[in-house]
Amino acid sequence: MNYTVLTFQATHYVLKAEKILLEKGFKFDIIPTPKDISSDCGMSIRFDPEITRNDSVAETLKLINIDFNIHEVWMK
Amino acid sequence: MKVVDARGELCPKPLIMTKKALAEIDENDSLEILIDNETSMKNVSRFLTDNGMEVKQELKGNVFHLFVGKTGEIPESAPVEEYCEVSFSSNKNLVIAFQKELLGDGAEELGRILMKAFVNTLPEATSQPQSIVFLNSGIFLTLKNSQVLDTLVKLEKSGVEILVCGTCLDYYQKKQELGVGIVSNMYDILEKLTSASSVVYP
Repeated sequence: MNYTVLTFQATHYVLKAEKILLEKGFKFDIIPTPKDISSDCGMSIRFDPEITRNDSVAETLKLINIDFNIHEVWMK
Repeated sequence: MKVVDARGELCPKPLIMTKKALAEIDENDSLEILIDNETSMKNVSRFLTDNGMEVKQELKGNVFHLFVGKTGEIPESAPVEEYCEVSFSSNKNLVIAFQKELLGDGAEELGRILMKAFVNTLPEATSQPQSIVFLNSGIFLTLKNSQVLDTLVKLEKSGVEILVCGTCLDYYQKKQELGVGIVSNMYDILEKLTSASSVVYP
């Protein structure tokens, strides 16, 4: 299925993003950054765009001033 | 070029889809087949080469792209099922044993997200475990409020046996909060670990 994957510049940003998204009650997974997005050993946030809206996630992350990139990824 | 998208399909589906698509295109036309697991890719390649076709293979990201030119007709009677070979025979008895809720030693917050990432990647692993065992603080991953619960439920539905240490649930007083798996005891857990062809301790 198609997922939205958010990548960040550092693991600390992933932790901060995870914290606020959990507080706001979003449904998402922490996953290793898919190899076709980046070869870095990074962490990403994945969610189902059918359940979680991209723009409400983006708005929430703006609150804590975190930069991220959005990718559409197909996964099992 | 006609494209067959066999991603997410299990044997013999990619073979059937490939055979059908080849029958539909004209001779000398070519076909591209998208497959997302190595076993299916090998099975389809073998099917095609055995039937006299030349196959080129490319890996882009996690997806295998097979390119084949139609050089002749594959008889309707050509069998596909027998090309379904399960390749993980060496690891057919893999057990993963979670002994704590964090992955590795070090910063707690890091161990926590590393563990989530580890569990969330399991459904994509080429070698699926036969069983997963949760011990000590590992049991927190199986509770209703666990952030990897959905993934564990998905694994259980796909046939992976999930055993959770009953003594541990009892000790942490979490028996009522179990969200996935079977409450198990040391006899069953020891049996799983000792009869496994390999055990992974994350």
